[in-house]
Amino acid sequence: MASIQIVDLEKHFGEVRALSGINLEIEKGEFFTLLGPSGCGKTTLLRTIAGFYHQDKGDVYIDGELINNVPAYQRNTGMVFQNYAVFPHMTVFENVAYGLRVRKLSRDEVSTKVAAALKSVHLEGYEQRTPDKLSGGQQQRVGLARAMAIQPRVLLFDEPLSNLDAKLRIEMREEIRAVQKSLGITSIYVTHDQEEALVISDRIAVMNQGVIQQIGKPWEIYTNPQNTFVAYFVGKINMLTMQLGEGAGQGLRHATLGNLAFIIPAEGTENIPEVIVAFRPEDVIEAAREGSQNEIVGTLKTVSFMGSLARFELDVEGQEITIDRHRPRETDMPQRGAAVSFAVPTRSMLLFDPKTGHRIGKGAK
Amino acid sequence: MSTEVGTLRLRGRRTDVWSLVIFAGFAIVVVFLIYPLFDIFRYSFLDKVTATFSLSNWKTFFSKAYYLRAFWHSILIALLTTFFSMVLGIPLAFFTTRYRIRGTNLLTTLSVLALLSPTFIGAYSWITMLGRNGFLRLLFQSIGINLPPIYGAFGIVLADSLQYYPFISLMTAGALMTIDRSLEEASENLGARSVKTFFSVTLPMVLPSLTGGALIVFMMSLSNFGTPMIIGGNYLVLPTLAYNLYTSEISQTPGMASTVSIILMLCASVVIVLQQWLSSRRKYASMLVNRPVVKRLKGVKSFLAHLLCYFIVFFSTLPLAVIVYYSFRKTSGPVFKPGFSLDSYRQIFFDVPKTVMNSFLYSVIAVILIAFVGTLLGFVIARKRNAAVRVLDPLLMIPYMVPGTVLGIGFIVAFNRPPLILSGTAIIIILTYFIRRLPYSVRSAASILKQIDPALEEAGINLGSPPGRTFRTITLPLMRGGIISGAIMSWVTSMNELSASILLYVGKTMTMPIKIYLSVADGYFGTASAMSTILLVVTGVAMFIVNKYFNRGSETFIAA
Repeated sequence: MASIQIVDLEKHFGEVRALSGINLEIEKGEFFTLLGPSGCGKTTLLRTIAGFYHQDKGDVYIDGELINNVPAYQRNTGMVFQNYAVFPHMTVFENVAYGLRVRKLSRDEVSTKVAAALKSVHLEGYEQRTPDKLSGGQQQRVGLARAMAIQPRVLLFDEPLSNLDAKLRIEMREEIRAVQKSLGITSIYVTHDQEEALVISDRIAVMNQGVIQQIGKPWEIYTNPQNTFVAYFVGKINMLTMQLGEGAGQGLRHATLGNLAFIIPAEGTENIPEVIVAFRPEDVIEAAREGSQNEIVGTLKTVSFMGSLARFELDVEGQEITIDRHRPRETDMPQRGAAVSFAVPTRSMLLFDPKTGHRIGKGAK
Repeated sequence: MSTEVGTLRLRGRRTDVWSLVIFAGFAIVVVFLIYPLFDIFRYSFLDKVTATFSLSNWKTFFSKAYYLRAFWHSILIALLTTFFSMVLGIPLAFFTTRYRIRGTNLLTTLSVLALLSPTFIGAYSWITMLGRNGFLRLLFQSIGINLPPIYGAFGIVLADSLQYYPFISLMTAGALMTIDRSLEEASENLGARSVKTFFSVTLPMVLPSLTGGALIVFMMSLSNFGTPMIIGGNYLVLPTLAYNLYTSEISQTPGMASTVSIILMLCASVVIVLQQWLSSRRKYASMLVNRPVVKRLKGVKSFLAHLLCYFIVFFSTLPLAVIVYYSFRKTSGPVFKPGFSLDSYRQIFFDVPKTVMNSFLYSVIAVILIAFVGTLLGFVIARKRNAAVRVLDPLLMIPYMVPGTVLGIGFIVAFNRPPLILSGTAIIIILTYFIRRLPYSVRSAASILKQIDPALEEAGINLGSPPGRTFRTITLPLMRGGIISGAIMSWVTSMNELSASILLYVGKTMTMPIKIYLSVADGYFGTASAMSTILLVVTGVAMFIVNKYFNRGSETFIAA
């Protein structure tokens, strides 16, 4: 039985459709991320599960129990807030004990559980501190300990790291992941940071405009995006809208854009005049020789040296193309304005229908 | 995003509680504001003799110089008071925030005390100093200087300016302290001299707060009743004119008093609307990263800066000190004798203990009501904005633009006949205090709530605490400091209320401010001084508590 099940969920705010047709099943112990740009509905979905919003349509089940009409305070979900929401008038101990005291646990049980929760977030010895004496990272640890202490059926994270600085964010996300795995509590994590989502999640649901675009493991989301939105939002990708040409045999086909001539997989392109050919910056290879297959020739507009890689921005047929070269050597670094040429292997191409934005060809579902 | 928490809280049986609060809010507004104000409005259109609809009162007002003069007097007094308040307030604000002045806290405390003290005390004190036989007048006479008579415009502007300039100095100082240093540094970095920087960066940044303060001073001076009543002599302004008309029309319909009230209220409304508009329009949200530098002055410059600041504050607290001094002087009836004694205090406690009791009793009851109702209505306004609340919110702010004299007249005409007869009761006095303070209390509760992150309440609910318990254990403790300090300020202003209650009191419901006014009028300065001193001590103690225990700065006092 799934830990969380959401069926045909729909939510409007006045005229605005915040969520529609949401269907999800989250397994017990799974770390599930809702990823998307701001306003995509991910927070609305999380808050609907917590019971702070009430859906217009559809059902939410936790551990098989329909909770549509269960008030927020009886849902037993532990939420970690974006701005921590640590009670400023209580000590760290009182904060973590709050949910336990509401549950009328004995004094001893409260102390034991608070101590355990604080230990797991490395805040032993901070019991009597007040929140104003804590850093942002420490406050968020209190928030996490407080949510875990009640042993919720599901932990809900509402962009918990977005107020922390970059270094702390990476540290904390690993900690959250470690604590979650050790306790095995089902977790739903909301973020707009695609890198964070890829690192932390068992599975990701990419959302846009209130609709789930794709659900999958981080690997699948990145390598096998089902539409242009997912491809764009997760990682960096180049997209060229090309005219379809003759077949090239062996399931391949010609496609052109100005002087650019590619050989692309033919599957799924039978009934459309144009196709979007997409490829990741890191999949581009050096052209073996002039005139080699799938060559892209362009003018170098910018070169950004980023340490482990160098990123080139090329002007190709009036389109901007990004190319990453790993372990760049100094001799590899052409000057701005230079004419350069690379090649795109056919096997690393992703094809999309320009009309619908949907994936076509191999790997499309 | 968070508005639905309120809805959730309101689901089920709690719907009734908050709907009841909203309903009560409307009931209060209708019964104690709209009904009396409408009554005034109606009376202004009733002929004095025939009691039928007519424009005769309005015609009289606009044709008789006697009435028009009071209108122009009011405007002139308010303008002059605003001007002199700025003359006193701006330098004080600038020097205390930008240069190191020793004892800035003391200066602020003393000027706030001058601001919060009952308006009539300052006026009355200036009479003792500059009245016909005032000691300062005699002193100046002995060195050959003849000061203008204190009764009239001179006295009113003097007393008003020295009372209200802290609005300017505190609001300007607040703005000066929150200008990020880097803005002025940027200006200098771009090549502007410090004088140029002051006029092109600093001043424009402070201007919204400065004009805000100036409008408040204008408004306070316009609706002030106590000062012109005591020191104005024959120089009538709108509030004293309305009062005089009302007391002389006691046996007839209060047509002229009502007309004057409406005009006074219109003037006040214009100022309030202007102030609200300004404050919503020009507010520079600046990120305060680097606090402004406080420069150290040396030698003569430092001495002059100190001299200026201390002179301004000393000048404004002088009247209070004089009152306290006189309260301990020996008296015989209305005459002061050489030497000191507690006669005046003894006299109060033997002759009029009821008056002192009344003041404390009425104001405490009013404050409990204000805090309770204000908090509930503030909660509704901050957390539950439905159509009804959006209508109620501005209605609750009406008392801001109703000068005390107008409210007093409204109450007496509306509540001395069925269906609701309250005249002559303690209830009507308490209700006056309640209504006059309600908007402040609602506003402050709402603004406290707006500063409480709704996520805190959500966290409580999420952890399993039902809405009621969450309100009790999270929201209320976070609001408590603000509610109590607001209540203390309401208590002080209620204790010092004169302009409405003087129209509504009867012998057994007399309060200290009324008694002080009557004593001054009768020449019993000893009693008046002793009572004024009691009110001053109460004001000072309240300020101290708010400052010390609730860590609330001068903003609280300005908001009061």
